[in-house]
Amino acid sequence: MSIHEREDRALRLQRVAELLAEAVTPQEVLDAILTEGVRAAEARAGAIGVLSDDGESVELLAQQGYEGPVMDDWRRFPVAARLPMSQVIRTGAPLFISTLSERNELFPELAEQGRDGSSIAVLPLAVEGSVFGAMALSFADEVEFDLERREMKVALARQASQALARSRLYAKEQALRERMTFLAQASELLSSSLDYNVTLRQLAHLAVPGLADWCAIDMVGKDGEIVRLAVAHQDPEKVRWAYELQERYPPKPDQPHGVPQVLRSGEAEFFPEIPDEVLEEAIGGDDELREIVDQLGLRSTICVPLATRGRTLGALTLIAAETHATYTDADLQLAQELARRAAVAVDNARLYGEAEKGANAAQALAYVADGVVLLDSDRVVRHWNPAAAAITGVDGAHALGKPVDEVVPAWASLTSHVPLAQPGAPGTRPVTVPLVLDGSELWIAMSGVDFGEGTVYALQDVTSEHALEKTRSDFVATASHELRTPLAAVYGAVRTLRRDDIELSEEERTTFLEMIESEALRLSNIVGQILLTGQLDANAVELSVTECNPAEVAAGVIDSASVHAPEGIALSLSADGAAPIMCDENKLRQVLVNLLDNAVKYSPDGGKVGIRLEQSSDRCLIEVSDEGLGIPSSEREKIFEKFYRLDPQQTKGVGGSGLGLYICRELVERMDGELTVDSQPGVGSRFTVVLPERA
Amino acid sequence: MPRRPQIGSGDHCGSTGNATRRVLVVDDERSIRMLCRVNLRASGMEVLEAVDGQAGLELARRERPDLILLDVMMPGLDGWCVARELAADKSTKDIPIIFVTARADPADRRRGEQLGGVGYVVKPFDPVEIGDLVDDVLKRIEQGEREQLQRSIATEHEE
Repeated sequence: MSIHEREDRALRLQRVAELLAEAVTPQEVLDAILTEGVRAAEARAGAIGVLSDDGESVELLAQQGYEGPVMDDWRRFPVAARLPMSQVIRTGAPLFISTLSERNELFPELAEQGRDGSSIAVLPLAVEGSVFGAMALSFADEVEFDLERREMKVALARQASQALARSRLYAKEQALRERMTFLAQASELLSSSLDYNVTLRQLAHLAVPGLADWCAIDMVGKDGEIVRLAVAHQDPEKVRWAYELQERYPPKPDQPHGVPQVLRSGEAEFFPEIPDEVLEEAIGGDDELREIVDQLGLRSTICVPLATRGRTLGALTLIAAETHATYTDADLQLAQELARRAAVAVDNARLYGEAEKGANAAQALAYVADGVVLLDSDRVVRHWNPAAAAITGVDGAHALGKPVDEVVPAWASLTSHVPLAQPGAPGTRPVTVPLVLDGSELWIAMSGVDFGEGTVYALQDVTSEHALEKTRSDFVATASHELRTPLAAVYGAVRTLRRDDIELSEEERTTFLEMIESEALRLSNIVGQILLTGQLDANAVELSVTECNPAEVAAGVIDSASVHAPEGIALSLSADGAAPIMCDENKLRQVLVNLLDNAVKYSPDGGKVGIRLEQSSDRCLIEVSDEGLGIPSSEREKIFEKFYRLDPQQTKGVGGSGLGLYICRELVERMDGELTVDSQPGVGSRFTVVLPERA
Repeated sequence: MPRRPQIGSGDHCGSTGNATRRVLVVDDERSIRMLCRVNLRASGMEVLEAVDGQAGLELARRERPDLILLDVMMPGLDGWCVARELAADKSTKDIPIIFVTARADPADRRRGEQLGGVGYVVKPFDPVEIGDLVDDVLKRIEQGEREQLQRSIATEHEE
């Protein structure tokens, strides 16, 4: 080889190196190698193949100068094959074959191939000692591969290796960046709105054309049916057509491939190249459909489930057809990541929707008068409506999210008496239980429903009802006591009188008979007063208002009292200028009889007992006064309470029911009047009834 | 005219010496006191009377009766308080108490038992039998059956 030739070769290599340095993308690198590189090597044709990701096959990336459909015939072949490139990739050693016969001997499979070259050189493409592909060069004539020639080819391959590796790395990074950008865009889109119908449609459009020629999103409907939410293609006409197609050929739930299969299994379905049998199955002998499918030119498909929290919500389908490259594992991973994010977004949107519905329910519960408390299965407070806050005195903000036993320490003992109903089962009657909160005792009517995921309690503050109920039962207890005592006297007196084993004195006999008489009267009086009290409590006392003269009523009361009045009691009436008023005459009489009886009863040492009337333009004032024992100031209001009795030592005789003054005040108040007392112990008492002119 | 605690005269029973039972009746109802007095005396017992809790307590401390018939619902110091005060006092804690009351509630019976009562009579009652009851209770106490008597208060359900 002449110096000139050598210089020339070096220049050519230099030229290739320059071109490769400028090339950025794998395509540019391949172009540079296969044009300038092949020319520099003085070869007729060249091809570059790389090891596939799984390391099982050789994928032909590009060729230059070969005849025939090389790229189709040799697109992919096994590393294990008995072929020059396979061997070089396996061994990492360059292969130089000068003659055709030598080639056919070494690689019998190539014997049938055309005479593309007499000599071939196949060189490993490697970086840092790792072989990732091979470059094949074919020469028009038989070439004697001397050392210099070999070294030149090896040097070219080294340049090509570095450039190609660098550009492939760049492309990989670029793709990764694009994927990340796409995922970022998708995430932003998914979080832009809670209306996932809208966001998923936008997502489908985002995937086209970068990720697919076609992108479809199907959701599982309420009843498990498949609902096509979105179809995207760059041509809107085709989208319309796809929808028509979907209507004419709806997916069958038991279909072995595609969306139904993915929804059923929850697993992704990935066909880098759609197998013919899958297409045939889908077509199912329908000629029209076959034509459509042919027209579509479907090549590669990825269908991934939209799954989260163990549930499959839908499926995302990507299809590579007319423009998009066939899918790789990296695309599958991207699709899966995309589907995962979409599923989370849908799930979040649905949860938010439910929460919002829950919020509406909470808003409704805010207006419910009953306390509503919702506990989850860990007894943590999940809802605490304003009524519950009002009843317990614990703020909702304070209660929410905390264990209920921390919020209301007595909760466990409180609810231990409350039977829990099951949802749908007839509710149990609320149980009234005491709740001690900060020292005050409340009575709460509670009922609860256990709905599996937690418990909901309804609370009602029945403290006042309970107090009323207690008053009622106390009333019954006290009333029965009041009846038992005179009954004991009557019965005991009769039993004693009938004794024949003892001799009673005449005085004793008389006392017993008087006892029977007075206690029987007392019984009848108590019964009457209890009935009247019951009527007053039930608001069932009717007033019969007529025109009546209070002076005449008072005079009548004084007259009848004088018959039984003990000695030492001086009765008097002062009613100057009294005029008729409108009121219930009988009730007024009852009040005055009671007051006068009391006045006499509490004047054991006698004295003046009188009724005094005083009338002004709009009211009538009636005073009943005595010079008796008087009432200590601490007792002055208590005497109007039911069954309250001032020192009972002084209450002997008819009418010791403890209800007299209660009835008096109630009756006067029903007539829109007022009954008050003024008293000085040891000096006497004055009860004052004030009635309006027209009661 | 405030009434003072009265001591029953015991004219025809006072002379039986040690055998004469002395019974204190504490009740604010004059008629109940009289019924007890007449019938207990017919059984040969001496009767002391108090018209309220305070008077009953004072009389019990002073006279140390053999037994007390104690009403519950009385003004001021009620029967429960009287029983508690008596039980707290060494000199009176052994005096047997029979409650005579209009309170018929089981809860009240339990209270009577807790306060150391040995009998519980609900009004209305037959005063003719009251002497025999007192006699029986005292005899059983002498035979060491005080605790059984106490326990029987809450379980008996007479009306």
